[in-house]
Amino acid sequence: MRIFLYSLQTALKSIWHEKWINLLTVLSISIGLLILSSFIVITLNMDSVLQRWSKSFGLVAYLDEDLTKEAESTLEELLRQDEDILEVRYISKDRAAQEIQTILGDDARILEDFRENPLPSSFELRLKTELLDPELVRKKAEAIQEMSGIEEVQYGEKWLSSLSTIAQMMKMGTVFLGCAIFTAIIFITYSTIKIFFYRRKDEIETLKLLGATKSFIRLPFLLEGLFIGTTGGLISAFALFGLYSVVLVKIPELLPSVTILILSLPLEAYISVTLAGALMSFTGSFFAVGKIRY
Amino acid sequence: MIQFSDVTKYYDDDLVLKDLTFTVGKGELAFLTGPSGVGKTTLLKLIYAAELPDEGNIVVAGWDIRKLKQNTIPYLRRHVGIVFQDFRLLFNKTVFDNVALALRIHDMHPKEIREDVLEILKEVRLKHKAHIYPQHLSGGEQQRVVIARAMVSKPTVLLADEPTGNLDADTSLAITNLFREINARGTTVLIATHSASLYQGTGRRVFHLRDSNIEKETVG
Repeated sequence: MRIFLYSLQTALKSIWHEKWINLLTVLSISIGLLILSSFIVITLNMDSVLQRWSKSFGLVAYLDEDLTKEAESTLEELLRQDEDILEVRYISKDRAAQEIQTILGDDARILEDFRENPLPSSFELRLKTELLDPELVRKKAEAIQEMSGIEEVQYGEKWLSSLSTIAQMMKMGTVFLGCAIFTAIIFITYSTIKIFFYRRKDEIETLKLLGATKSFIRLPFLLEGLFIGTTGGLISAFALFGLYSVVLVKIPELLPSVTILILSLPLEAYISVTLAGALMSFTGSFFAVGKIRY
Repeated sequence: MIQFSDVTKYYDDDLVLKDLTFTVGKGELAFLTGPSGVGKTTLLKLIYAAELPDEGNIVVAGWDIRKLKQNTIPYLRRHVGIVFQDFRLLFNKTVFDNVALALRIHDMHPKEIREDVLEILKEVRLKHKAHIYPQHLSGGEQQRVVIARAMVSKPTVLLADEPTGNLDADTSLAITNLFREINARGTTVLIATHSASLYQGTGRRVFHLRDSNIEKETVG
């Protein structure tokens, strides 16, 4: 415990003594973490938006013209029993006509040229969220198409594919940026602590000759790295909070309809940013101190 | 206390010590002499495991140097006080802190550290300069700080490498007397020097190092 306190005292002295280089390192770390955490927040919000959109995604199964009411009921029952389908909504020919009249409004007069209602009955199907992968949806659509009494199955194939690609790219981008910033922060702390290590080389050599253990020599540097990373993380967390607060105020003014899509950030997110800074810097310091040989 | 048995040491292809065998007993004060570059410093380094022998065995205060692992070297060094030729004082620390450093690694209570450091500084007659930085001290005073730092943890062996190399005759005499006092308390002392005036008339064993081995052993 006394060794820990002495190391802490040594680390604090060094932090003050090397305040400018430490300040630069802390700012570099906080900027890196702010970029990363902002990107994560944007990705989470995008994901939330995509989740909302995907909930309204559905397939439409058009029925054969000559299908009896009984056959329609049997088919509906079969679809309801399918575990992949969350919701089944029957649209009769008349209902379809009404809906299209509503959509067309004044232009609905064009329908008067038809002697009979040309629209088929259909089932609107909503699939489980886990199934909203373009390939899985395609397979499901083919399976439904094979069912007796189904004339055709339609769904927004291109839309779904684009949605899925955007989500995947955002996630890949986050992972890539995360790795890049993780490496950069480790390298920044590594360089700073390595400089301090070389500046105190004489002291370290003397300590080794006096019988200091490796942990006694390493601890002040590790604590200094931890302090740098934690401070960088804290600054980044406060900056993120400030930035987010501004966004929450400005977005309703600029884009009122988007407001509801924005996620609120939990306290854990700010703690995670701080801890990430601490962990990355600690790792950098650990490598900077390296192997000590007597 | 210090036992060399057929020790050979090379630096790359250069032979420094060859089949060296000698012993310094517990509580003894002995001198090691020879011209510059003969291997005196290397021999001392072998004692505190800064170098390892290529052949032969060394036992210091019961520690077999060849069997030491990296992690155990610090514990050997806590038994061996070293007075370096180049002092190795830290100029960003006061005299007190320089000496205290040797105790901080022992996880001692700050109060005990303070007491022990002030006591040893009193013994080397530097208590009044405890809060001065080493660069403001004379060569002799700096050397006494180094001796205080080497002795504060009460080692069983004290090694001194050219301890009076940069000092005038009067200061050298004072330093020599200090080593005698330390030895009188039971510490084994080995002093490497090329200055005959340091060991002449002491009545102590002197090992003369030449051509990679001890050429002769005399009494000073």
